[in-house]
Amino acid sequence: MNLSLNHLQISLLFALFASVMLGLVTKRTDRARVRYGLYCFGCFLLALFGISWFMRLLHG
Amino acid sequence: MPATSVSANTSVPARSPWLTVALAWFVPGSGHFLLGRRGRAAIIFVTVLIPFILGLLMRGPMFQPTSTGDVLSRAIQWGGLIADVANGLPYFLAVWFGYAPPDVATHTCDYGSKLLVAAGLLNILAVVDAYEIATGQKD
Repeated sequence: MNLSLNHLQISLLFALFASVMLGLVTKRTDRARVRYGLYCFGCFLLALFGISWFMRLLHG
Repeated sequence: MPATSVSANTSVPARSPWLTVALAWFVPGSGHFLLGRRGRAAIIFVTVLIPFILGLLMRGPMFQPTSTGDVLSRAIQWGGLIADVANGLPYFLAVWFGYAPPDVATHTCDYGSKLLVAAGLLNILAVVDAYEIATGQKD
């Protein structure tokens, strides 16, 4: 079985897993973990779309 | 002193930090399981295993040790190998069962390779967390 995912799907998956792990290992309470995980996920998305648009504008 | 901290914290079962580190590396999440953090252990297991399996399904190549090429190429190969091995048992099982993706340059294989590395790096984060819990530096 071969799986083929595109760049956006891979980026979103990486953002999801990294956010879960970062929330899990850096905060002390479950509520803080969820909040920090969501914050990290938002930052990943912001960087993903921000850098993508920046490169698009850069290339014209 | 870590030993005092561990015994002072009643919520952390007394375990050898290095045994915890070894277990946490070998089976993702098992370090936390050993320390009584079963919910976190399950989440870590899934969070490491899913990207690893996706990387395999995308036929991502494992990094190989090399002594040829320039310094940057060798650093990338060895760094990637360390991250691959950081997956622990899943990595060794894949190698043992003869996982050998075709040596072709496609974007899908490249993404798969990065997912395998990412899974190993996430496991390193979990190992460090397990060590800190075992030594009483965090709860």
